[in-house]
Formats: sequence, structure tokens, C-alpha cells
Amino acid sequence: MAHIGLIVNPSAGRDIRRLTGGASVVDNYAKRSTTVCVLDGLTLVDETVSVEIMPDKTGIAEHAIGEAPSELDISKVEMPIKETAADTRRAAAHFRETADAVVVLGGDGTSRDAALELGDVPLVSVSTGTNNVVPTPVDGTVAGAAAAVIATAVVDAETVTTRHGKIEVRADDVNGEKHLTGLATIGITDRPFVGTRALVDPTELLGGVVSRAHPAAIGLTSVAGCIEPIAPDAPGGAALRFGDPDETPRSVRAILAPGMTTTIGLESHESLDWDEPAVFELQDCVIGADGEREVELADATVTMTPTANGPRLVDVDGALQAASEKGALISDRPLADAE
Amino acid sequence: MTAQAELDGQETETMTVREAIRQGLREELERDEDVLIMGEDVGAFGGVLEVTGNLYEEFGEEQVRDTPIAEAGYVGAAVGAAATGTRPVAELMFSDFMGVSMEQIMNQMAKMRYMFGGKTEMPVTIRATEGGGMGAASQHSGTVHTWISHFPGLKAVAPGTAAAAKGLTKAAIRSDDPVFVFENKMIYEQKGEVPTDEDYITPIGEASVEREGEDVTVVATQRLVGESLTVADGLSGDVSVEVIDAQSLYPLDTETIVESLRKTGRMVVADESPVSYGTHAEIIARAQEEAFFSLDAPIQRVGTPDTHMPFSTPLEQEVLPDGEGVQNAIEKIV
Amino acid sequence: MTDYTLETEDDRLEALRRMLTIREFDTKAGHYFADGEIPGFVHLYIGEEAVGVGTCAALDPDDYIASTHRGHGHCIAKGLDPDLMMAELFGKADGYCNGKGGSMHIADIDSGMLGANGIVGAGPPLATGAALSISHQDRDQVALAFLGDGATAQGQVHEAINQASTWDLPAIFLIENNQYGEATPVEKQHNVDQLSDTAQAYDIPGVTVDGMDITAVYEAVQEGRKRAANGDGPTLIEAETYRYHGHYEGDEQNYRTDEELQQWKDRDAIDAFKARLIDRDELSEAEFEEMQAEVEETIADAIEFAHDAELPHPQEAYDDMFSDTVPEIEKFANRARTDGGDSR
Repeated sequence: MAHIGLIVNPSAGRDIRRLTGGASVVDNYAKRSTTVCVLDGLTLVDETVSVEIMPDKTGIAEHAIGEAPSELDISKVEMPIKETAADTRRAAAHFRETADAVVVLGGDGTSRDAALELGDVPLVSVSTGTNNVVPTPVDGTVAGAAAAVIATAVVDAETVTTRHGKIEVRADDVNGEKHLTGLATIGITDRPFVGTRALVDPTELLGGVVSRAHPAAIGLTSVAGCIEPIAPDAPGGAALRFGDPDETPRSVRAILAPGMTTTIGLESHESLDWDEPAVFELQDCVIGADGEREVELADATVTMTPTANGPRLVDVDGALQAASEKGALISDRPLADAE
Repeated sequence: MTAQAELDGQETETMTVREAIRQGLREELERDEDVLIMGEDVGAFGGVLEVTGNLYEEFGEEQVRDTPIAEAGYVGAAVGAAATGTRPVAELMFSDFMGVSMEQIMNQMAKMRYMFGGKTEMPVTIRATEGGGMGAASQHSGTVHTWISHFPGLKAVAPGTAAAAKGLTKAAIRSDDPVFVFENKMIYEQKGEVPTDEDYITPIGEASVEREGEDVTVVATQRLVGESLTVADGLSGDVSVEVIDAQSLYPLDTETIVESLRKTGRMVVADESPVSYGTHAEIIARAQEEAFFSLDAPIQRVGTPDTHMPFSTPLEQEVLPDGEGVQNAIEKIV
Repeated sequence: MTDYTLETEDDRLEALRRMLTIREFDTKAGHYFADGEIPGFVHLYIGEEAVGVGTCAALDPDDYIASTHRGHGHCIAKGLDPDLMMAELFGKADGYCNGKGGSMHIADIDSGMLGANGIVGAGPPLATGAALSISHQDRDQVALAFLGDGATAQGQVHEAINQASTWDLPAIFLIENNQYGEATPVEKQHNVDQLSDTAQAYDIPGVTVDGMDITAVYEAVQEGRKRAANGDGPTLIEAETYRYHGHYEGDEQNYRTDEELQQWKDRDAIDAFKARLIDRDELSEAEFEEMQAEVEETIADAIEFAHDAELPHPQEAYDDMFSDTVPEIEKFANRARTDGGDSR
């Protein structure tokens, strides 16, 4: 029986970005509803699938199990609940061994936490907001259906998934060596102390490295995309260094955060190959991955390297189109005969 | 002081109680821009009982604010505003709604100054309508001023005349303490002479002798002041009735009441609140404490007979205290 | 007065000092309560220091706060004097309220402290009212109400937030979710998982931040303050935190496990902030020890001050009811003056 993993991050969509920018709020009611939609979507295929869902303390998993279509074999992953990002990572590590496809509901941060543990398992990343780079804002039912056609091998996963890149970071500062991994972006802000989870002032952004770039994205990927787009599965990435737009040779108009269009002074833009490091010498700063503040640094040498071995992201539209093209979604005899 | 002496030498105008209150509010809004009126429908609509009238048009939303139907919220906001530099006047459309806001009244408004060792002012005024007589039934006809008079830290006034309605409203707004102005809704159309002086106030804690007499003292409040005066006029020739408008319930002008009782030796207390454990009892207790040996007859109480205000007219008329009740009480003791 | 932020090294050290001062103040308050020297109840803020200090650091000195029954931390964060606070806890005439308020009613309007409050949920309407005064007089201030997870279920809290939102008042509502409303866990009191979700009911932003991280609280309040001061209306902030002691001192705490308490202590806000400052080379272990010793001395002095202060004269019980005197109370006060109140 094909097996699907489901991760719903209960705390996604509530952090301070709701205050600093135009990010939208996604409450648990909406998350529960979307989760049930995913389960309904899984019934698009004839084959019965089994589902395991990450447990949580907010009742999302309980609700999903209660409301799941009767033909699904659904249960919770047996694991302790810490109510931190560790839960997502633990569930993803479990699914790496057991699942044929995984659906994640959350933002960039949740997708990254899951992706870094999933290995080769195809990932359907559903944005529960409207302001993410990696997850796509797609209806839960459609996402579930896409996961189902892949997990049940109705379509070949190879043809409808893309390999996303990663960015490995190594920082050496007065306190030793620190490591961090990002999926789409690593950003550097020079607000030295205050551990901002959100970019409040664009002049505080010093630069960073992206593994993908498009002007229709938001944040550092948007800035890079304004110069040269990089497809999510294209090799390598780009390193960006910013400065005062009054002094830098070039500047870029980009969407830095929901509700924030701004001019960024571009000191340099450097295309990177896979495994080609960009080195930053930094004073007091904070580096963050995929929009989340992670590490405070003082007098640091930071190396950021795009690498190839990221998650396999499912192209939702492509997966269902492939299923359709194969005729897998139509039946050519009366339903009564089929049963 | 007698009512006549109070008005002597003053320029006056004839107006209704409603107009008198509105004039008092208007003058205070004009005098001090930190005076803020707020309540349900007090603004653009002009008040359900039309007391605030066109004040919204005259002073704008900054000074005359419509609130959500949320008595705890806006009475609480009035308390917070009073502690921080403004002078709110909140209206409770019907005093029965006070229960909804009672937490903020009893635990915040009444206690803050004392609990904080005197380190805050609490210049808040609450206007609340009271009284039966219009078939509004039990939840829109109550007379609850005893609760407030009883609760330490709150002042309570209840005018019976147009002059007092204006004077007490202004005194309440100018006071640095929480003052409740209880307006009997059946006398809004009652007319009287009202001083036009913009600084005319009726001091809180002073009763008014509305009619002098020798044989019996009627201490009345609100609607029963006017009805007692009518009874007194009807009895003139037979019984000489002195009518006092208590005006202020807490603090109460014990001195004026007791002075009258010493003269007449007989007393009737007429107040629309329920009789048991109430305003009547407090006035009587003070009378006997101060003038026990002047008493020639048991003091009589005229009030609501411990029921709620029923809806149907014959039922409401049965329990609503009125001039007839006052007359019966007088005749019982003279 | 909240004359510190988190923007400079000196200010960050001051914030740490305030957190330590709160913990030391409440530790000693707990001891003296247990000894019977402090009457009544005390509700200790230990464990929640990052919330009060992070919040007050983000406010301006003139801003108002409305506090809760667990208010000592808010007072110290806002800059009230520990001597006068401790004297109030001891019921002394020199206390903030001359001994009339005690632990649950410390107030200092001049410092912007609208009072601790013995009624759960009573603070938000007061903050809305203060914000109304500010807005009416066009003053450059905001008003913030601290409330607990328990208070968030109160009707008057909803009324206050709704009114402040409807009128775009310069208010901030900060829920200190310490996981228990008295002895009942938050899940048994609320249907929403994140209390900040209720912000949607008022069409205002609501965020949940880690209340054990002073900077997370600071940033959220800073943004809330910006919105409030800009005329954009209130913000609802939930800070997830934990009280290390019972609801009140002496509470049996049979409603939670030692393991749960330890999990939160492992994330202790003071330890975390201290570690970050050391990490940043803004503080050394030796300097921290010195700071801790100074804080202990400050509180020892406060206790000495409170011990030495005079009890109020019984006659003062009759004062402060009104702005003037009323004959009703004067009568009792006079009797007390002449015969000690025996004939009352």
C-alpha cells in the first residue's frame, strides 16, 4: 500500500512578520480545514493509501484523523512532541524511511526543516500563507491528489519532481564554528543584536546567497531575480553584496517583504556554481535561512556554498497533468461494472 | 437651603429636566475640552431618551462618542481615561445595564484612589436613567441607586427638579471623584426654573427644601419630589407639609433633613427604590440617630414593594410609588 | 521610568539587571511571605522576567502600563523603586500606596503604572481608557495592558480590545501566556491554540512570540508601539512563558509535573540573555557575578527599608476615599480620633 506522510506545522504563520510586513495570518481553523482537504485529495486515486500525520498539541492531527475519508488508513506518527521545529525534523526523518510522498503545510521555514531530513522522498510543499518562496499556494485537495498519483506510481516521480538546491553555511567567529543550512536563501542583516525574525529596515540587509532567483519571488530571491533569474532546479546560485544605493554602482527595485517594495544598492552580484563558496567577512550581524533568524555573529568569516543535494519538490500541476495524460483519472466503463 | 432662596437673584429660564441636563452637559463640554461624553447612541442618534440631543453636532465625535454596546468596556475605559487626564461622562442608557459594568465600577472606579493611597484622581461621571412608569418592564425600569450609594468610594445624586438636574450634572462633571447621576426618565418633560449662569452648580451633599411646612417632613427623590409637592399643595389648609429633595444620596445632607424633622416631628421618606434594606432605611437610621427625641410618630417609607417593575399597566401602577402613597403615609402619621 | 532599550550595550546590561532585580525581589518576597512578615497573598513573576522587561524596554518612559495581580515584575521593569514596592508589600506607610494596596495594587500613575490589579481581566479596559485620554489630548504616548492567558477569556477584555480597535486607539494588549489560569491549563480554558488568533476578531494584527526570549518580546512590542503611535490602532501580542512558582505562593501545584517545570527552566530567559551577552563579549562571568551581587544588595536594602519603615497610623484608614471629605466618613474618623473607634 502506498504510504503518505503529512506534516502540518501548527505554529507557522504567526510570527512577528505579521506585524512588520503584510504577511497573512493562518489560524488553526484554516490549517485544520486544509489538512482535511489534503486527505480528501488522496482519494482521487483508486488505490487505497495509508497516511501518517505528525502529532501536535493543538488538535490538528486529531481533527484530521476524525474527519478523514473512511477509505484512508490514517494514524499519527509515534513520536514525542516538543512544540518546536524539532517536531517537523523528527517526523520528516521518519518519513524518509517509510513514505512514498510527503505533504508539508507551512511556510519556507517548515519546508526547509522537512526537506533537510527527507532525502529522496518527493515533497509536496503547500504554502499556508501567500508569501513564501519554496511552498506553493495550492488548494489542499489538489496537493493531496498530486501526492497520491506520485505515491501510487500512477505517474513517474522522476518526471514531475525537481531537485531543489541547498546552501551550506559555515561561520567562524570569536566563539568558534557554527553551521547552518538554507534551502532558497541565506540572508545577512547588520542589526547587530536584536534577533529579528523579520527584516524591519531594508538598509539593514547586507547581502547573502540564494539557490534560486525570480523577480516574482519575495525577499533576497526577489533581489537576485531582478538581476538574473535562477530556476529552482538550475545548478548553483548567486552571491549578493549590498550597500548604500547612493554609492553603489547599481541598484535594484525588488520586493523585500510582503508589503515592502524597495531600492537596494547593489555592490556586487556573483553567479556561483555548485560547491563554489562565497566568503563574507562580517562584523556584528545576524544570518538567517529562508527568512528565519538563526545565528548571531561577531567578527566572523562566513562561507556560503550552494550545493546540489536538496529536496525533490513535486510539480503539482505537472503531476496531475501527467496523470490525466495517462488517462489515469477517467474510467471507460460504467461504475457499477467496476465494482 | 430652600429652593426659592437658591434661585433668588439668579437669572433663570424655564426648561424641562431633559433640557436642563443637556444644557449642563453643553456648558461643561464648552468649558473644558477634556470632558468626553460616551455611551450607547449618545452621539449622532442623540440618545435613546434624547438627552444628549444635538451635542454630537455641536462638539463632534472627539467629545461626544458613540460606544459599542459593551458597558463593561466603555465604563472601564471611562475609568482608565479618568485616571489619565480626561474627564469622561459615560451614559448607561438604563440603570439596569449597570450590572454588566459592575466589575469596573466596584473594583476599579470605586477603589483605585483608596487602594493607591490617594495617588490618583477619578473624575468620572456616570449618568444612568432609572424608574418605572412607561411600561418598559423589569429590565428597563429599575431603580438601583441604593447599590451605588451603599458602595464605598462612589458618590450618587438623583435630581428631582430641572434646576437640580442641571446643577448636579455640572457638579458631577467638575468633581474629581466618581459621581453617578441617576435621572428618573419619567420627569424628563417636567418643567422648572433653571439658572442660566454657566457656573451654577448644585453642590453634591446638599439637600434642597422645596416647600416649607410645619407638620410633616417628606424627604423625596426624583419623580416623587414633584408628586409630593402636588400632594402638599392639595393638603394645604389641613396639613402643612415640608418637602425636601434629597438631591444627593451619598453624601447625604443629614443636617437639612434632621433640622426639618426637629421642626415637624414627623417624617415620610419617598424614594422609588425597593423598600427593604435601602435608601429609605438609611435616611431613617440617620434621622433617629440625630433626632430620636424629636420624633412624634413612626417614620413612613414609600417605595417599590420589593418587586421588579412589571410590564402591564395595572401591574406597574400597583407597585409604582406615587403621590397617593405619599398622601396615605402622611395621613397615617398626622 | 523606562529609560532603557535593547539597542546599546549599556541598555542591554540594564535590561539584564532588571531581570535579575525582578527575580531577586520576588525570591525575597516569597521568603518573607513564607515567614509571615508579608500579609495577604503574593503572586510571583519568577520565570516571566523577559516579558516584562522586553516590553518595558520597547516602551517610552511616558507610556502607560496596566498590570495584573502578578505585577511586581512589571513595576520593576517600568522603573518603580524596589524600596517603596517592598515597603508596600510589608504594609508600611512609606509604600507606594501608603500600605493601602499591598502586592496586588501597587500603582504609580506618575511613572505610567496604572496599577497591579486583583481582578483578572480588569486591566485592558483601563488601558483602553488611558489610550482614549492620549488620543483625545493628542499626546505622544501609548498604553499597554498586560493580561494573562486566563484573562483572555474574560468578557471585559474582549470589550476593551474591540473598543480600542474600533476607535484606532494607541493601545497594545500583551498576553502573558504562562500556560495556566490559576490551576487550570490554558487548553482547558480556550478553544484557540494560539491566543493571538483572537486578534482576527478585531481586525488587528496578532502575533505569538517566545516569552523566554527578551528580544522577541522587545521587537514585537516595538512594532506594536509603532503601530499605536502612528494611529494604526492596537496590536495583540501573545508571549509564551511560564511561572516557576505557583499561582500564589504556597499553592500546591498538583496540576503540573516537575518535568514540565524543568523543561521551561532549561530555557530560562535570564540564562539565555546572559549567555547571549557573554557570547557577544558584552559581559563576562565576573561582571555578571558582580551585577548579581549588586542586585542582591539593592533588594537587601529594599527589605531593610521596608523593615525600618513605619506602619501606617490606624487613623489613615479613613483617608483617601475621595478628593474631599464626606461627613459620613468624617464621623467615623472623628470617633476614631477621640476614642480609638471603640464607639463605632
